[in-house]
Amino acid sequence: MKSLEKEKKISMKSVMFYVIMFALSIVWLYPYIWMFLSSFKPWDEIYTTLIPSHLTLKSYAFILTVANQMGYPFILGLLNSIFVSVVVTVSVVFFSALVGYAIAKIKFNGSNFLFNFIIYQMLFPSFMFTVPLYLIIRNFGLLDSYPAMIVPYMMGAWGVFMFAQSLKSVPNAYIEAAKMDGANLLWIIFNVVLPLSRSTIAIVGLFTFMGIWDNFMWPLIVMQSYSKMPLAVILAVFDKTYGWYIGPILAGSVIQTIPMVIIFIIFRKYFLQGISMSFK
Amino acid sequence: MIRKTTLKKHENLKGWLLSSPYLIFILVFWGYPFVWLVVLSFTKWNFMTPKKFIGIENFVKLFSNPFFWTLTWNTFKFMCYFIPMVLVFSITLAVAFTKAKKFKAFLAISFLVANVSSGVAYSIVFSQLFSSNGPLNRFLYNSFGFIIPWFTNPNWAMFSIAIMVTWKFLGYYALIFMAGLQMIPKELYEAADLDGANKRTRFFKITLPLLNPSIVMIMVLAISLSFGIFTEPYMITGGGPLNGTQTFLLAIYTDAFERYRAGYAASLSIIAASMSFAIIYATRKIIEREVDFS
Repeated sequence: MKSLEKEKKISMKSVMFYVIMFALSIVWLYPYIWMFLSSFKPWDEIYTTLIPSHLTLKSYAFILTVANQMGYPFILGLLNSIFVSVVVTVSVVFFSALVGYAIAKIKFNGSNFLFNFIIYQMLFPSFMFTVPLYLIIRNFGLLDSYPAMIVPYMMGAWGVFMFAQSLKSVPNAYIEAAKMDGANLLWIIFNVVLPLSRSTIAIVGLFTFMGIWDNFMWPLIVMQSYSKMPLAVILAVFDKTYGWYIGPILAGSVIQTIPMVIIFIIFRKYFLQGISMSFK
Repeated sequence: MIRKTTLKKHENLKGWLLSSPYLIFILVFWGYPFVWLVVLSFTKWNFMTPKKFIGIENFVKLFSNPFFWTLTWNTFKFMCYFIPMVLVFSITLAVAFTKAKKFKAFLAISFLVANVSSGVAYSIVFSQLFSSNGPLNRFLYNSFGFIIPWFTNPNWAMFSIAIMVTWKFLGYYALIFMAGLQMIPKELYEAADLDGANKRTRFFKITLPLLNPSIVMIMVLAISLSFGIFTEPYMITGGGPLNGTQTFLLAIYTDAFERYRAGYAASLSIIAASMSFAIIYATRKIIEREVDFS
């Protein structure tokens, strides 16, 4: 009898716990929900009601066609963002794997130095380099071009660090066996070692992609022509100039956010792994 | 013996060859800018006319400029709002996550998805939600009869940005804490139960001390983040009202690319980075403890 009462108490408590957790998660999702619903609302209902009287694609039609005629090419911006993020991600994964392999698996006289150097490098905040980096890009004559957004991010200390850490756990026996068969170094890296470290590829790729997608200040500085700008900058400029078109701006925000949300939901396993890995 | 040395040489060659693209890249895009930064900080230059060497004048000007102290004060304010808020909430959330047996995936996703929101889009959404007649103020007015000048009052604006950043990073930090909580051996809690310790003592005597490595890590992340705030004030307040949300990065951007004071912006970058470094170093010295899990 007594234990039954206790059980009841516990289940009451756990129900309360889940109610609170759900309420909080709704609060946390609210900005997304609001953005998403508002982008489909008739424009006069954005501020007045949460649930729209009917759904309309007017905001999307505006941002994709009318804004384009006004000189803000959002579709092009989306393509630019995808292009720049993909190129940077492929490059970062490729080079980080090479250098990470050298540090973790080749006993050469620079491996310790290199490893310490990348850790040292990560101590310096990247914002320090904004002004001199701009000058280098300008001196190369790359201002307002795709390479200006891509080249400075093609390699990075963090990616090398992640690969160096995780490739250490790849068994040497695999590598030795491949060497016996006469495989060359690059073949070993790309056909033996990397298939064993898919999750590192996914983690480094995922965080790099999201970082570049979200990169705002740098393209704002180096890009001038709207046709080459990434979505983030076009959206920001449009918001600053035509702030009263709030429906279309929210539709633009949805377009800018949704790819990240989808990628996050698909690869969330690696996202979680990445968080606990960088903890070590 | 001879074979061994040639093998060693071979390995050296391979190692350097594989790392050479990175080394060249770092030389051009890290080492060279580093030198440039230092050189620039001692010059007066508008990106066009010849550079003029002025010694430490930039730094003297910087420290005697009240605006620099506004930036420092704003960053300090932001840290005072953001760090305690995000620490308390993310530790609480991490404990709640470990207690949750059901709906784990849903709960984790709903708190983490904030973290993948893009800076520009979330600034737009929050500037709408927090605007003077936005949904949040409407709700406050209807239920409590008052509104909050989130972004329009200089005393509130930085706090509002701290709320946004907390929204974005809470889930992410909570997961780091969760990883830290999972490293605490269960036996410790069982032993404490035997000694009749209550929940409170358990938390303050076991959980919190053993969570020290995660707390240090979050502090480091949060401090470096505080010095890199740009998108939110750029998009929402433009640094105002009354310079209440001016940040170091916003000032570096304006000085370099709107006022064309390259040298001044370079010296500001150096000072901001040094300050962030010094605060991180001091924090680690003060709170970091050797943790023994046995």
